[in-house]
Amino acid sequence: MQSMTLYIEKNTPLHQMDPLIKLLLVIVSIAVTYICPNLFFVGAVTLTSLILLSVGRVIHKIFPILALSMILIISIIVVQGAFHAQNATVLFSVGPLSFYKEGLLYALLLTLRVVNMVCIFGVLILTTRPDEMVERLVKKGMSPKIGYVLLSVLQIIPQMRATTKKVSDAQRARGMETQGSLIHRVKAFIPLIGPVVLHSLSDTRERALALELRGFNKQTKKTFLKTQRKYRHQWPQGILLVLIGIAAIVWRVVQ
Amino acid sequence: MSIIEVSHLKYRYPDTTELALNDISFRVEKGEFIGIAGGNGSGKSTLCYALAGLVPHFFKGAYGGKVVVNGMEVRKMELEDYVGNVGLVLDNPFSQLTGATNTVFEEIAFGLENIGVEQAEMIRRVKECLDLLQIADIGQQHPFSLSGGQMQRTAIASIIAMHPDVLILDEPTSQLDPAGAEEVFRVVERLAKTGVTIVMAEHNTNRLAKYADKLILLDKGELQAFDPPAAVFTHIDTEQLGVAAPVITQVAKKLEIKNAHTMLYPVTIQEAQQLPRWKETIGKEAFYEISHRELGDNAEEVLANPGNLLQDNEARKYDVNLQVENLTFAYDAVEVLQGITLSFHGEATAIIGQNGAGKSTFVKLLKGLLRPKKGEIRLNGASLEKWSPAQIAGKIGLVFQNPNDQIFKSTVLQEVMFGPSNIGFAEEEARNQALQALEKVGLAAKTEINPYDLSLSERKLVTIASILAMDTDVVIFDEPTMGQDAIGKQIIHDIIADLRRQGKLVLCILHDMDFAAAVFDRIIVFSEGKAAGEGTPLQIFSDQVLLKHAQLQVPVLFQLATEEISAES
Repeated sequence: MQSMTLYIEKNTPLHQMDPLIKLLLVIVSIAVTYICPNLFFVGAVTLTSLILLSVGRVIHKIFPILALSMILIISIIVVQGAFHAQNATVLFSVGPLSFYKEGLLYALLLTLRVVNMVCIFGVLILTTRPDEMVERLVKKGMSPKIGYVLLSVLQIIPQMRATTKKVSDAQRARGMETQGSLIHRVKAFIPLIGPVVLHSLSDTRERALALELRGFNKQTKKTFLKTQRKYRHQWPQGILLVLIGIAAIVWRVVQ
Repeated sequence: MSIIEVSHLKYRYPDTTELALNDISFRVEKGEFIGIAGGNGSGKSTLCYALAGLVPHFFKGAYGGKVVVNGMEVRKMELEDYVGNVGLVLDNPFSQLTGATNTVFEEIAFGLENIGVEQAEMIRRVKECLDLLQIADIGQQHPFSLSGGQMQRTAIASIIAMHPDVLILDEPTSQLDPAGAEEVFRVVERLAKTGVTIVMAEHNTNRLAKYADKLILLDKGELQAFDPPAAVFTHIDTEQLGVAAPVITQVAKKLEIKNAHTMLYPVTIQEAQQLPRWKETIGKEAFYEISHRELGDNAEEVLANPGNLLQDNEARKYDVNLQVENLTFAYDAVEVLQGITLSFHGEATAIIGQNGAGKSTFVKLLKGLLRPKKGEIRLNGASLEKWSPAQIAGKIGLVFQNPNDQIFKSTVLQEVMFGPSNIGFAEEEARNQALQALEKVGLAAKTEINPYDLSLSERKLVTIASILAMDTDVVIFDEPTMGQDAIGKQIIHDIIADLRRQGKLVLCILHDMDFAAAVFDRIIVFSEGKAAGEGTPLQIFSDQVLLKHAQLQVPVLFQLATEEISAES
């Protein structure tokens, strides 16, 4: 049975970090790449995210996701490289298409932002137990309902994968070909979408009932099974991140 | 004061015209164990929901009359105040999980967190429930990784942990193996002894009769009886209402053996054995019934010469030949099947065994949905190794255990036509096949309905029709009797008999031992990933060592005939 969360159990400093600080890290890391559109700076931020991934010993898990985002990245490069409004200097041509320096540099910036976003979210999701993060947020005053939604959203991909497997088995079992060429597979994928959504909806209704039976809507003050973990250096880490954020804004204003 | 008082309860679901419950009144005392019996669609689940407050609070709809549980009038209460006082366990284990916890331990604690139980007490209660349901060993596993039986026990533990005064269970054992189901009944009975009031809807009247103090018998939303089981099954022909009487009662009725004091038929084996006339006649009668069922009119002749039985089977001509050789399969590092070698010709075969014995994995391998680690499967001489599941689909049909995993179209007809259309039938032909198949399962009138608007038992029949429509040489059923009442079981019985007459190979995974013994020519026992034994029902169910090893129960009729069988062999 495949694990139902993307979290990977390891014992690294990142795994022991307060989830709220990691959440702040995600926000700051993404924000600064937009606040300071400097190629070298954004590159450095992206590199930092990659280093964090390797500190958390989860970097190998990010490559498949990056590979998936290649479609987006390639389209950025083609569109911006060839058609960016400020294009002036031709670098090279492929057939009728000419690629320009300005457009390609801009595409590189966008690409780095995308890669950074994927990586820093990877840091959060791959090194944080989702329930730990939600429990932190709920204790900070977030509604348990939102907490539940977050938890189930985090579990939705593995659950969808399980549902997709079931529906695909049901279709193959009744003679639908899903193997063979790429076109065959894509064709087989389309009829999957409807039933998977339908299944998820029907599960949702029954689950709502189950939650009701377990006192989910009760107004009593909630208690917690787990004792709060002790986190270290929350304050210095948090302050550092906020300072980086402020510094980026100042830099932008001064420029 | 009674703990449950229901008076003149009437209820109609939104957007429907018929009453789901019609003028129901009864009272239950604290600590009683009440069973609810009735055919599919009789209102069993709705009554459970009404006692648990989901009707009307969750389902809305039109409501009349009064339900008072533990001094609270359901209609006037908010559902949230009700939770914790009254617990409800549903039939589908998967959808009862919260989907937001990582371990069984956390899953059970979820409700306790919501009702504000202190941490130390919470941990104590979770541990207590893990022990009570005998699932302490899976406490740290992910809830979604469990088998159906384990999930259901987790669901029951999650509800019991909240210490309800009244526990309502809606067919809680429908997805469990016999040993698991018996365990649930024992746990529930233990709870009843500690003063918890139990109300349980259930199809298996053998168990209901054994454990319940009284039965509520429902038909089309109306209360037919509210009496001790013996009185219900003596005075009412429940079969007509889709409820099979306990096997003991059926036999006793046939032989006209009543309890001389109460003038009622016995409903449990223990009760029957107290009766003098029972002791004298029953062993021979039951044995006679079994041997006739298995051997037909030549029973005496074949029994005199037992070696003939199997030869007789082999001598029959079948068109289908399925060979399985040294089949081995593992999920990751865990070996699920180890070197299965079996051959099938055309005899209707039941596969029995505990939850997790590898039965479902075995049939998925036959279908090509899983690939074996080692070994080979040959159909009529041709190896299936290179075939894709879609190619196998035209030859081997499989009805999944959970109909919700199989259904994906928006009308019943489209659903049933999907298979035949895929394996090369023309549109018109596929439609005809589909309509015929729906006729067989009794759903011809519901072709244009969305399968999700049908009940679970009807959905199961839709999935059976969708396989029948493909007209495959081999038809495999995974738990076809799950959730079916007496009428549904009869339909499935007829379908299997019909397939056999057409010379098809029928394979069937079953937990229902009485059904297995009554319907099949051959039985294979799976245990811990191996085929531990095979033979005729008579051979298998008289092999005490094998049954004990595989942790299986003996069908009631065979329990009765045990002495005669051991005398014979």
